[in-house]
Amino acid sequence: MQTNYSNHPIRNWFIQQSLDHTRRTIIISIIATLIMGSGLQFFVIDDDMMKMLPKNLESRIAWDMVQEEFGSTEVIFISFGKKGQTVFHPNTFAALWDISVELEALQEIEEVQSISMTTRMDNYDGFMEIDDLQPDRNLTENDIQEIKGYLEKNPNIKDRFVSQNEDYLVAMVQPFEGIGLDQVRNELVAVVDPILQDYDIHYGGSAYITGTIPGIIRDDVQSLMKAGMLIMVVILLLNLRSVPGVAMVMMVIGLSLFAMMGFLGWVYRITGSDRYLFTLVNTSMPIILLTIANSDGVHVITKFFREMRLKGDVRNAVATTMDSLLVPIFLTSITTVAAFLTMILSPLEPMIGYGIAISAGITWAWLISSLMLPAVISLKKWDLESKAISMASTFEKLIDRLGRVVLTHPKYIFLLGLIMVMVGVLGFFKVTVDVNFAHFFKPGTEIRDSMDFMDEEMTGTMDVRARVEGDMKDPNALNDMTALQDFMEENEKISLSYSIADVVKQMHRTVMDDNPAFETIPESREKVNNLFTMYSMSGDPEDFSSMVDYDYNAGLITALSKIMSTDEIFSYVGRVNTYIHDKLKSDLKIHVTGMIVVFRDMVLMIIKSSALSIVFSLLVIGIIASIFFKRILWGLLAVVPLSSAVILNFGLMGHFHISLNHITAILSSIIIGVGVDFAVHYIAQFRRLSRTVDKNKLSREVMDDVGYPIILDAGSNMGFGALLFSAFLPIQYIGGLMVFAMLSTSLGTLTILSALTELLKKRLIERYR
Amino acid sequence: MQLHKGYKMKQLTIVILFGSFLFSQTGIEIAKMMDDRPSPIDMSNKTKMVLTNAKGKTRTNAMISKSMDANKKQIIWFLEPKDDKGVAFLKIEHDEKDDEMRMWLPAFKKVRRISSKKKGDSFMGSDLSYEDMSSRELNENDYNRLNDDVVEGMECYLIEIVPRKVAKSSYSKHLTWIEKSTLVAVKEESYDKRGKLEKRKEFKFQKLKNYYVIERVFVEDVQKKHTTEVMFSDVQVDSGIDKNLFQEKNLKRIPRD
Repeated sequence: MQTNYSNHPIRNWFIQQSLDHTRRTIIISIIATLIMGSGLQFFVIDDDMMKMLPKNLESRIAWDMVQEEFGSTEVIFISFGKKGQTVFHPNTFAALWDISVELEALQEIEEVQSISMTTRMDNYDGFMEIDDLQPDRNLTENDIQEIKGYLEKNPNIKDRFVSQNEDYLVAMVQPFEGIGLDQVRNELVAVVDPILQDYDIHYGGSAYITGTIPGIIRDDVQSLMKAGMLIMVVILLLNLRSVPGVAMVMMVIGLSLFAMMGFLGWVYRITGSDRYLFTLVNTSMPIILLTIANSDGVHVITKFFREMRLKGDVRNAVATTMDSLLVPIFLTSITTVAAFLTMILSPLEPMIGYGIAISAGITWAWLISSLMLPAVISLKKWDLESKAISMASTFEKLIDRLGRVVLTHPKYIFLLGLIMVMVGVLGFFKVTVDVNFAHFFKPGTEIRDSMDFMDEEMTGTMDVRARVEGDMKDPNALNDMTALQDFMEENEKISLSYSIADVVKQMHRTVMDDNPAFETIPESREKVNNLFTMYSMSGDPEDFSSMVDYDYNAGLITALSKIMSTDEIFSYVGRVNTYIHDKLKSDLKIHVTGMIVVFRDMVLMIIKSSALSIVFSLLVIGIIASIFFKRILWGLLAVVPLSSAVILNFGLMGHFHISLNHITAILSSIIIGVGVDFAVHYIAQFRRLSRTVDKNKLSREVMDDVGYPIILDAGSNMGFGALLFSAFLPIQYIGGLMVFAMLSTSLGTLTILSALTELLKKRLIERYR
Repeated sequence: MQLHKGYKMKQLTIVILFGSFLFSQTGIEIAKMMDDRPSPIDMSNKTKMVLTNAKGKTRTNAMISKSMDANKKQIIWFLEPKDDKGVAFLKIEHDEKDDEMRMWLPAFKKVRRISSKKKGDSFMGSDLSYEDMSSRELNENDYNRLNDDVVEGMECYLIEIVPRKVAKSSYSKHLTWIEKSTLVAVKEESYDKRGKLEKRKEFKFQKLKNYYVIERVFVEDVQKKHTTEVMFSDVQVDSGIDKNLFQEKNLKRIPRD
């Protein structure tokens, strides 16, 4: 005979599965999780950030054209030498030769630019001679002096390959287009490190940083997440004071995570789509699911302990707990899933997979906490005398005091909340965007030191490119390119620039008996053409392939720069564009681009789509809450703490000069994911208790009932404050902002929402009386 | 009957002996046979060269070429593209010293001497390097005969040519298919210093007077995915080109014939 646990048939069915078919429910849940989790074998981590970039982004289109015409423009800089010792030594050049030859032999590498791989153009008694700048691996002292002399005569070449103090050499490595930069980076380091073991080595360049960062961030986050989970367990243990209770919460978290990762693997296996790869963006997925699953588990366990204290019987306590929590857990899950599914509209491919996979994880957490968790609880013999059940915890006492303050002065609390939100709004407008990877690292870290070294000693490793469309043999076009290069170099952060115009000038000088007065663009197109034809008879025209296209209809200006912030890049690119528009005489079409410009645009896109997603999520959550709670006012109230928390967080970022980038932009998802849970639990309990509890005691009762799990959930999630110890500034910020997000969402619910419901209670509870 | 049998035995012995003689020919012997093939005293032609890059973009050059001494002296006048019309190139190869190369640059009204110390450098942006266009010295390479092969129905010797250090080659080896009946190379694969296939070449010859003269060369740089097709037309051999033609002063005027 079936027992009746709830007056609602669906709730009753759920509770029956947990209490009357306990073992069956547990076994089915475990088997289903194992099947879902087995998709982990197909789970693929992909650190290729290029796959994130939307192909229809305007700057990406220009950038792709540059890659198509001139090969990959993203280079890895390798600088090596010994501080204070001259590089003009046979051993150093032998080492440079070795790395150049070995790297060019790699399948991933298209070209290596270094002294060993560069040609020289000389005029000997009327002879124009093209030859290797470094003729052999093993050089004599005379050969070295020859090279030095040539570099002195051509400072533009020297600046590219030799440090200011002549104690470091540089090689620039150009990978093939379309190859994962993480793969290139790993292969390159494996080749270079053993050859240059006797030298100081510094790596840099956007390709290196892009290829390095995802892996480092992932390792960093993984180790800090472990610390975060440990802190979470400790906070839960201190408050729940029950090892089995904490273990059960962790069980919900663990199984949901396992299922979500497996889901991602299965979908990737079935669809083969890149959007289901685990990329840098997905790094936050486990953290978000962890906080959501933690919330579900904590609510069930704390409510169960409370009911045990009142009823003293496990089955009875489990039944009451689930009868009270099944709806809010379902609602929190469905609203969060709806919020994350809005990511399907994102222009970024991985964000679509992100939204779908995390929705699957949330659904799994809902199933586990609604069916398996109560079944497991009911199997355990609980000691009624234990502290966990018989005594209130620290957080419970804290919430008791908070409740008293809030509900005694609801108007002041609401006003205080409003003022804080206003302060947040002011900060909102100060938020800046910075996607420069250099700023991801604190000074003193190895990678930042390398970048600083490249900035101080070498040309810098950032590059800004200008794709120039026009006749590359037309002297006017070449003169305009020279003028543009001069303008670009006026910025103190630009160390040098080069283009086909420089080569034409050098050829002109060489043909005119090496007379420096002729280091100019020739006055006629025919002369320019003659120079190119002459070069093709003695040198390899492939030498120019990174500067001019096959038809001489497009050229590329490369400016090497020291580290610029995204704002500086915005302003610099703006000034260059104005100059192109106002000053250039020929009909050249010029697009300024570069990886950093593409990333800047991508982040703007993320922010725009995040903003849309936030608005859309809030709308969906409001509608779902309105339908389920049968009143629009409840829908509005459900989104109040969320909206406040989002504003406060972004406001805080503005006030504390924390920049938005592709990592910190995910905060809104965390806030919405967790914040909606708190509000829905509060409202569901308010409505439920309003049917039985006196209106003067109602808010107090609600606060006592849901305040504790909310605070405990938020408090334990604050374990992710461990991310504050990350080597990466954005991850540090995530850690700090996570703590703040937990405070703002939980306190937003327990102050602003509770003060509002207290103020509006006459209208809110009227219907049920 | 006996006689008949003896005659047959003799015939068989000759065939076997001849066959084994042919088979016993070594790589170097085949290379020598090729080298000994008669070559014209001088040659003139119109050349069209089509370069195609990996993206399918093409550049076309047309020129008039006159040469002597197995290409050791060569003069080229550019006709196309229009930009290059009037540019001219003179090459004189020397055994004991660096080759002489001069160019007439009409826009500068100057003759400039050019030099390339790198044999592997490309000729006019094509997939043919100066090394590809020069004849190989027998004593600078090792020739190994491999199993014979058939190329487009033609019976061919297959020779592996390994340049010695003295050759200062930019290749590690070549595989050359030589048609048995004409002793001309019909196909060649050249491998880079790392032993990877770099170029695939195809040659087509025509018989003119007693010579086999080249009619078409197709080269594919498999690493750069770039191809070059060179077609020769209006080919004349032994037409009595004056050796004084190969002088700087003659660069400035395109010949009428």
